[in-house]
Amino acid sequence: MRAMRGLQVFSARMRALFAQKRANREFDDELQQHLQLLTDRFVSQGMSRKDASDAARRQFGNTALLQQRQREARTFLTLSSLWRDLWFGARMLRKHPGSTAGVIAALALGIGMNACVFTFVNALLLRPPAGFKAPNELREIWEHSRHASGAGRFMPLSYPDYAFFRDHARTFSGILAYDGDPEGIIWNRSGHGQILHGQLVSGNAFSVAGVGVSLGRAFTPADDDVTQPKALVILQYNFWKQRLGSDPGILGKSIMLNGTNYVIIGVAQPGFTGFEVAMEPDFWTPLSMSEKLVHDPGRLTGRTTNWLLADGRLAAGQTTKTAQAEISVLARELELAHSDTNKDMGETLFTFAPVPGPFRGYVTAFTGMLMAVFGLVLVIACTNAASLLMVKATGRTREMAIRSALGAGRGRLIRQMTVESLLLSFIAACAALLLASLTSHLLLNLIPASLPISIELPLDWRVLVFTFMVALVTGVGFGVTPALRGTRVDPVQAIKAEAFSGSYHKSRLRTVMMVVEVAVCVVLLFSATLCVRSLLNASSIDPGFNTQNVAVATLDPGSLGYSDAKVDAFYQELTAHIRTLPGVSSSSYVKHLPLDTSREQTSVTDGSHAGAKPDGLAVDVFRVDPGYFKTMGVPLLGGRDFAQDERDRKANVIVVNAALALKLWPGQNPIGKLIAFGGEKEQAEVIGVVKTGKYRSLGEDPIPALFRMELPPRRVLVVHTLAAPGSVLDAIQREVQIVDPNMVATEVQTIGNFMSLPMFAARTTGLLLGASGLMALVLTWIGLFGVISFSVSERTREIGVRMAMGAGRMDVMKLIMRQGLFVTGIGLVIGLGAALVSARLLSSLLYGIRPDDLATVVVVVAGMTAVTMLACYIPTRRAMRVNPVIALRYE
Amino acid sequence: MGEGKSEVMQGTLDLMVLKTLYAMGPLHGFGIARRIEQLSQDVLQLNEGTVYTSLLRLQQQGSIASAWGTSENNRKARFYSITRLGKKQLEVETENWERFAGVVGRVLRQEGQ
Repeated sequence: MRAMRGLQVFSARMRALFAQKRANREFDDELQQHLQLLTDRFVSQGMSRKDASDAARRQFGNTALLQQRQREARTFLTLSSLWRDLWFGARMLRKHPGSTAGVIAALALGIGMNACVFTFVNALLLRPPAGFKAPNELREIWEHSRHASGAGRFMPLSYPDYAFFRDHARTFSGILAYDGDPEGIIWNRSGHGQILHGQLVSGNAFSVAGVGVSLGRAFTPADDDVTQPKALVILQYNFWKQRLGSDPGILGKSIMLNGTNYVIIGVAQPGFTGFEVAMEPDFWTPLSMSEKLVHDPGRLTGRTTNWLLADGRLAAGQTTKTAQAEISVLARELELAHSDTNKDMGETLFTFAPVPGPFRGYVTAFTGMLMAVFGLVLVIACTNAASLLMVKATGRTREMAIRSALGAGRGRLIRQMTVESLLLSFIAACAALLLASLTSHLLLNLIPASLPISIELPLDWRVLVFTFMVALVTGVGFGVTPALRGTRVDPVQAIKAEAFSGSYHKSRLRTVMMVVEVAVCVVLLFSATLCVRSLLNASSIDPGFNTQNVAVATLDPGSLGYSDAKVDAFYQELTAHIRTLPGVSSSSYVKHLPLDTSREQTSVTDGSHAGAKPDGLAVDVFRVDPGYFKTMGVPLLGGRDFAQDERDRKANVIVVNAALALKLWPGQNPIGKLIAFGGEKEQAEVIGVVKTGKYRSLGEDPIPALFRMELPPRRVLVVHTLAAPGSVLDAIQREVQIVDPNMVATEVQTIGNFMSLPMFAARTTGLLLGASGLMALVLTWIGLFGVISFSVSERTREIGVRMAMGAGRMDVMKLIMRQGLFVTGIGLVIGLGAALVSARLLSSLLYGIRPDDLATVVVVVAGMTAVTMLACYIPTRRAMRVNPVIALRYE
Repeated sequence: MGEGKSEVMQGTLDLMVLKTLYAMGPLHGFGIARRIEQLSQDVLQLNEGTVYTSLLRLQQQGSIASAWGTSENNRKARFYSITRLGKKQLEVETENWERFAGVVGRVLRQEGQ
């Protein structure tokens, strides 16, 4: 019965929502008529018209309150009263423009930085790549080794494995695959080479992805027949538009890529930029062309050449679970059939997202850390806002008292206060969105230019929802305490004597909030200082080579299908050209630069007792040409560099670094010693020792390394310049084309640019955490300033009394300063404890500094104390100038 | 107050309004107030405005319905009438009230020692 009655009332109120105006008017009529009838009755009883009217009103009661109650009871929180609250809130905020702007700015910073990080989370993890049909039906298929752990256990598929899954999996309506690591392709455009990015894709890639073409046709499985490779390409829309001038007659024409002619059969639909985030190929060609395109034999047959990223579209009615089950069974079949290569290999499915499944963990961890850091900034901003609102609420005790005396319930007052704080946080959210779009594009500039990455960071609905949800939580979070506190008023008391009501209680809560704020600030400041100092350390780490006067460029004549002799001839002639350039003092080649992402390793043993130690020492190998050490500025500690004739006759000589010499022959002269490579019969003679540098990362401990000759066709040209290396970059590219018009150098850059890759992590964390620390400091300063100024104005009378009783100005100063330093002191103790614990999470990102660095503790304590003093300064001065006579008369 | 009048007890107004409508048939707000005043023989201090709060409450519960009609002095007025649901509710609540009043009466009538 009761439940049904509740339902009745609910639906009655729902209906009333739509007929408010009429109902209000009718109700007013009804009341007026009632009053009229009452008055008439009193008149007929012999009262005067006026007395009758008064008596009627008395008997009837408070019409205004009744109308208000009636309106509220008739339906739900009415729009009109919400509007009134909003309007009133806006007026209250406008009344204190300074503090309002302060709160909004603080919140906008806090919300904005979180929104900024979220745009990256959105772009990398949440947003499906553009152009795909029903991306939620796609699943990524990855091979994983059952015995390994971490993201490293996941591998792309080999071609034979992919073909097996494609042909046998019934839970997928189709499985597409593409080259996960597209390389630069040389486009021979009427005799001149240009670098393009191309991607090899399976014949069904476009149909499974649901991507259409704007011109011509997409690939079909028949185009991708391994036994009959067809040289066909589909162009990316932007490439066709920008580089080929939207030529409508392009179909059927051919384009020369890495020395082979390809027929253009289509142009992809506009907006489709590729199968993975950040990579934007200029063209696609079938997988079956891979050996022709990249001159890498064995790609289509090798079961250990894992290079294909595969996405399957779930067949109707299938789920990740059923698909995973089938794929696992198929993987087991492969394992049995090919026990040599597929042993312990399983398959894992991931949902489809811009960042490949296995790497999402890293992105999540990094963005998660940033979210946590900026979440703390937001906490500080919230505490600021809350204490400011509480200060204002204290000033509004009288207003609240009067409103509650006039019949406003407590719920009504809380609603009014909450509407005000939500108004603040939503204005802040709008500013935050602006801030987020600005800073996220600034952050993109931190990505090293050498990585061919382009990320779109749209402010789409997810970002909007996230931002406004954060704003909502923030608004309620910082608004609810002041609202509860501020509305707990005893009208009689408050109206009688506003002065000291409840101020002790409120100031205690404010103190607690300030302690929290200082503590959070200390945590942020501590990690910020660590990261900034680590960045400074990283910039001053000696990588073991010249990071100033070197220019580099990558060359790969092998991609044009040249023979070894032709490759050698090209490099010799290029060397001759480069060395005659003005400002160039030397040049050489290296297979890959130290601190790059590539790596070559081997195991070595001391040649004198080869065979005695079967397990060799793992060393990093660098293949170089004579002159490398001089060009790169690697100091030779003993012996000599390779000689040109040693290179020509392929002499078995090597140069070792000091770390390797120390490992193999401690205390002996390594020159002339023999070394045996794992897996090679011949021994090599050590002819030189160089200083140990950094090879994999800037923070590493000394790694043993050796330098040998015998370079593959793909090499990095290193050029030592007398002046700044930027001036020779154009000349290098020009000389390459003069030597061979079909060749193009890629990644032509100064060594300083190259170093932005190994410095990336240190720079990003240093910059972002440094920014967070700075924000925390400024916000805390504002917060302390606000609270202390308020307490000074609250204590004006007390200070006046003290001064009248003979307290000197210094005593007043101590009084105010003590309050500030007390808060900071407790905050520092709590904050440092938390900071030392949380800084351990950062230890893997730090260079040359321990997470419990004492100097950093000192810096933070000093900084925090200085900020407190600064925040106290102006209020203290105001307190010291208090005139006791005026202060005592004040009330 | 202070003239020996008692205030309307919380929740009893709804019951009185229902009963009045049940006994008198459709009435407008003024009529209901007059009838209650008449029956209370000036014992009750009724804030007449609250009758309307009660009427809205009952209407939302579905215990009464309202329709526009013409009052005795020929003016448009809203007439309230009890519904079937309201009659059932009246029955239940009357019983409740009598039981309650009986208990209170018995408790108050007990002799002191």
